Amino acid sequence: MATVTLNQAEKTYPNGYKAIHGIDLAIKDGEFTVLVGPSGCGKSTLLRMIAGLESISAGEISIDDKVVNKVAPADRDIAMVFQNYALYPHMNNFDNMAYGLRNRGYSKTDIESKVREAARILQLEDHLERKPRQLSGGQRQRVAMGRAIVRQPKVFLFDEPLSNLDAKLRVDMRLEIKNLQQRLGITSVYVTHDQVEAMTLADRLIVMNGGVAEQIGTPIDIYEKPATKFVAGFIGSPAMNFLTAKVSDDCKHVIVGDGVMLDIDHDVAGGQAVTAGIRPEHLSLANNGDGHINAVVRMVESLGAETLVYLDFGSGADNVTLRLQGTHQFAKNDALSLTVQADKIHLFDIETGKRI
Amino acid sequence: MKRVQFEHSAVPYLFVAPQILIISIFFLWPAAQAVYQSFLLEDAFGMSSQFVWFRNFEDVLSSASWSRSAIFTVIFSVAVAVISITISLFLAVRADEVIRGAKSYRTLLMWGYAVAPPVAGLLGNMMFNPLMGDLYKAFNSFGFEFNHIQNANDAAFVVILIAVWKQVSVNFIFFLSGLQGIPKSVQEAATLDCKSAERRFWTITFPLLAPTTFFLLVINLTYAFFETFGIIDVSTKGSPGGATATLVYKVYVDGFIGADLGGSSAQSVLLMIMVSILTVFQFRFIERKVHY
Repeated sequence: MATVTLNQAEKTYPNGYKAIHGIDLAIKDGEFTVLVGPSGCGKSTLLRMIAGLESISAGEISIDDKVVNKVAPADRDIAMVFQNYALYPHMNNFDNMAYGLRNRGYSKTDIESKVREAARILQLEDHLERKPRQLSGGQRQRVAMGRAIVRQPKVFLFDEPLSNLDAKLRVDMRLEIKNLQQRLGITSVYVTHDQVEAMTLADRLIVMNGGVAEQIGTPIDIYEKPATKFVAGFIGSPAMNFLTAKVSDDCKHVIVGDGVMLDIDHDVAGGQAVTAGIRPEHLSLANNGDGHINAVVRMVESLGAETLVYLDFGSGADNVTLRLQGTHQFAKNDALSLTVQADKIHLFDIETGKRI
Repeated sequence: MKRVQFEHSAVPYLFVAPQILIISIFFLWPAAQAVYQSFLLEDAFGMSSQFVWFRNFEDVLSSASWSRSAIFTVIFSVAVAVISITISLFLAVRADEVIRGAKSYRTLLMWGYAVAPPVAGLLGNMMFNPLMGDLYKAFNSFGFEFNHIQNANDAAFVVILIAVWKQVSVNFIFFLSGLQGIPKSVQEAATLDCKSAERRFWTITFPLLAPTTFFLLVINLTYAFFETFGIIDVSTKGSPGGATATLVYKVYVDGFIGADLGGSSAQSVLLMIMVSILTVFQFRFIERKVHY
């Protein structure tokens, strides 16, 4: 049980590249924190800094109020699950899990019982004598998890642990990880580029971009009130629609495309050029001509439970995605009329991308 | 399972023909000749020969100089293999950790590979020359009474040193690539699990390098057996009194200098048998234990 605190943590590589720009973060005891962002945003680097696999260039990282900048990885009392499992190929699965315990001087009977217990939780009891290469991807992932949980560390670190698994297994393991973490109550930091994983696992989500934490909050907070255009576009699938817009002089509307007026309820200066964002699920079909936006179908994706419609509107420069429940039959070039939920419109500064 | 059979044509045989020809002319035919010669006894002038069955073998096996050479060969080979593997493993592990100027380090450490064995022998010969050799002088100035011309142990030390030096760079290349073949995440996982770098090396890195080490052991023993001929011929020539003559060198001395073709052929046949047994043993018993 532990807290993890980052105080202006920075990472600059010897070649001068700054991967992490001063991040402040306080992870509470038992909290499941997810770092999410596109590749190259520094999320893995940040995790590796907490693990001690990357040095910290400036600032401080503390575990349980103890600064660990100079503490060896093995002394930080953390356990990490790697993307490619990183199991020791020459050891059988029992030894893989026992290795960390042996090096910490646990007694033989202690090791035996701890590994058996972890194997029971992860349903690996029948595979302990085998070597990692004799297991399937999902089982290897379990061994890697087992190696982490046998030690009952202060902090779990996960570096995209599910991205090498197939889609179905990924969903199963996702639930299992969440379940396990809640049961053990161990503070966890989880890195992923998959926003579904991020939304479902996180108690608290950190959206990173270019070495900066763009927004920190609960998944729902971030979904409902994205702090920047980047966050708005990254969280939510399919991605939010962005329209170049202008605030009307009376401040009550935004004008998009070829003079389409949308009601808004924002505190914003009239005449200002902005980016208006609306999620595909906050658009709905209206009777012909009654909606706010009239658009033409470009492509349809039917997923069964829902249908995604990609439309062009205005002079064709703008396009929007519409998400409808159930199945719908549309043909290319069908004209549709869409209603926008006014209270779901997000406005972003056109220059800074910040939420208005 | 039924194999797919394609129509046969002569073209593939044409492609392998040059290789088969080379092997036949330079390997199979001489080997057959050696076996044949080993049953013959020739007169001193090479004018006539007579079939003597296994007498040559009996002579060889009962000769004191042959057993002495065999013992030296075993000590020499094991020493060369173990010492050069140890040194190059150490160098490879250290060079793998270097970040700045890694390429220059590695290139320099590999350079020795380009030196031909006789050249290495010549270099050693010069360094241990009693008149101008720096190492010879250095050893003696430290108070060792070093004299490889007369002392068998000192002479053995010289040939082992040269042979090891020549082989370190080859082993280094294999160990370095072996080290780089260990996934970085596995090593990182180990740093989380084990604080002591030394313990990590023996429990993770070294076992993962075991197949490489085994391969090098085979290569190095073969090298020490056969390829060190050039080194010995240029440096000690088997002196003093045959103390540094490996079996291969002795085959050459007895056959080409001593003109005992039958005896030297018998020796080379014995050598062939020994190496075959060694190879079978290595692959049967050791290889099984090193692969993970």
